[in-house]
Amino acid sequence: MADLSSAFRGRFLLAAAAGVVTAILAGGGDASAEDLRGKVELLARGGKGLAKGSDVRQAVVFFEPKEPRPTRAPEAPFVISTEDKEFRPRVLAIPRGSKVRFPNSDPILHNVFSVSGANSFDFGLYRKGPGQTRRFDAPGLVRVFCNVHHSMVAYIWVLATPYSISPAADGSFTLSGVPKGPGKLTVWHEQAEPWTIDLQVPTPGPVAARLEITRPRIPPHVDKSGRSYFRNSREKYGG
Amino acid sequence: MARRSRVWAGCLLGFALGTLPLLGQEDEPAGEPTEEAGSLRPKLDFGFEAKAHYRRSDENRFPIRTFLPPEKQRFLETVNSGDHFEISTLTLFADATWSDHLAAHAKIDFIDLYERNPTSTAEEVDVDELWLRIGHDSQPAALPAGWGAYAKIGKFPKFERQNDRHLESYGLASTAFNRIEDVGLELGLDLGRHVYLKGSLTQGNPVFLRDPNALAGDNGTPEFRRPDPNPDLQSGIVIPYDAATQGLDVDGDLQKGLGLGVRFASEDGANGVDVLVFGRRRTLAQRVDFKGSFYGADIDLLNGPEVPFLRPADVTFPLSSDRKQEVGANVWIYLGGGSFFGQYVDQDLGGLDRTGYEGELAWRFDLPLAASFDGRQLFPAVQPVVRYSKLDPAYRAAPRSPSPSFAWQWEKLDFGLRLTILSGIDLTAEYSKNDFILGSGAKRNNHETLVTLRWRI
Repeated sequence: MADLSSAFRGRFLLAAAAGVVTAILAGGGDASAEDLRGKVELLARGGKGLAKGSDVRQAVVFFEPKEPRPTRAPEAPFVISTEDKEFRPRVLAIPRGSKVRFPNSDPILHNVFSVSGANSFDFGLYRKGPGQTRRFDAPGLVRVFCNVHHSMVAYIWVLATPYSISPAADGSFTLSGVPKGPGKLTVWHEQAEPWTIDLQVPTPGPVAARLEITRPRIPPHVDKSGRSYFRNSREKYGG
Repeated sequence: MARRSRVWAGCLLGFALGTLPLLGQEDEPAGEPTEEAGSLRPKLDFGFEAKAHYRRSDENRFPIRTFLPPEKQRFLETVNSGDHFEISTLTLFADATWSDHLAAHAKIDFIDLYERNPTSTAEEVDVDELWLRIGHDSQPAALPAGWGAYAKIGKFPKFERQNDRHLESYGLASTAFNRIEDVGLELGLDLGRHVYLKGSLTQGNPVFLRDPNALAGDNGTPEFRRPDPNPDLQSGIVIPYDAATQGLDVDGDLQKGLGLGVRFASEDGANGVDVLVFGRRRTLAQRVDFKGSFYGADIDLLNGPEVPFLRPADVTFPLSSDRKQEVGANVWIYLGGGSFFGQYVDQDLGGLDRTGYEGELAWRFDLPLAASFDGRQLFPAVQPVVRYSKLDPAYRAAPRSPSPSFAWQWEKLDFGLRLTILSGIDLTAEYSKNDFILGSGAKRNNHETLVTLRWRI
């Protein structure tokens, strides 16, 4: 998948808009809110130039004010669909308490599951159709896999802050309506170590986040039973 | 025999068709591990495998300098040469799993054309595997959780056998040394995650003869006692090999096996390397009766027939002891969808030395979703495979041995492509290129094409 799907972008716009509205409501629309601007760069291993083949738009940028602000989960569920043996979108940031539906748009069976702590779930094998919905209450990263297809990977960031966005194609981002004062800015990308910085809003200038690509696009993982996908004896002749 | 085979085939086909609705489950990796501590009720899992082949075997015949008059000229010749369609395998699998540390397994062949020897008169129903395991046994290049041990008792594959062959045919070293299951006890000890020991005390497979091509020949069948023998199948171009065990009689001598291995692997099992050095030893029996053949196995086979007017040295192989010993090493390498298996074996067969080499390289490429059937992807993967194997005997055949090919230098190159049609159904097309150097120094070959449709549920 070269870029985010339109549905994903739409969701992000909605989330950003909700964040802005929340921030305005929380901040009373006064001068206590600022735009937090910056740029994300993905560097090749060893920091030698820009990374090729890694999409900066798949990064998630979020700001957590020292004084937490309330989030508001939308009533309608977000959607992560299985299409052509991929999850679309591959990366999704949602306010905690949000629901995500997992329709199967492929003509083949999938088994969507996660073993990410309190957000774990297992939908079992299911055919093409609207799929099932899961509500995510525990903040943190949810790694989503398919028990049938090793290459299928998705990430859901369940956020306890209303201030999040994905960078544009050039890596630039603007978090609007961020409350003035101290807080922590995090930039996450699936192929890099998370980048964090404590800062004071407003910042003297745009924030520069440089992340080194060190991880494979398909992370090492086992199936929902803790077994290797690669040693399925049924797929081999044996002796 | 053919009629009985058809009856079995019909019954099993009916069973298989009855289980068609279960096919959707096949997209799922193997089932959940059973970890109910103390539970006496095992998780039962039954499987079925059928194989149909198209086989095209070159027609070759090599005259043997025997003790018979010229008009009785005998040959080593290709088994059932030409083009053939065959249902070659109908197999039932049964697994009972109480936990990861207690499991039993059975594999029963109702038809297995390519394992039987002599083919046309051997067992109709063969219990290929039947064992009980206490303790955890890791696959090659897969890391266990830590220290551990297991004991396996019954009939099982040798621990040095390649466990994930990617072609339907076998390499020369596999055929000669560790293709067939043995009966006895196997012990394993994991010394942490990376070092392991194996040991076995088994009956030992009798040394018999077979053609390394897919279909073994008729050797020592009753037809050979007639003045003008006309067996169902020809004898084949044969090598000595570790054949199927015959009953439970061990003649007072058990085969001892030892192995020491080192392995490293990623936690998800995608990548790994495993190196195993091993050895086996037993005493050859003077004779092991072999079902379906009047030839005896072990020393009797190597001695050849007694011919009144010939010196034994004209017929027998130059045995100098009754020791049978193999020392060898394996390497398994896994890299994502790629795998390599290599094996080296040095054998002392009653003083006859020979070495065997084998290396198989395979790679699995997942294909994009283009079409589906009943919720499963059509053509999800394709897998090219190449394998090289060699047998290098250091001895010469007696001038009038009926089995001169025992001493031929032999190379086999197999290459093929396995296409997964649906999960559980695949088609493997392969070509075997056999080249050998005869005792005279002449170079000859005997090639074979094999296309296998396999269905497993």
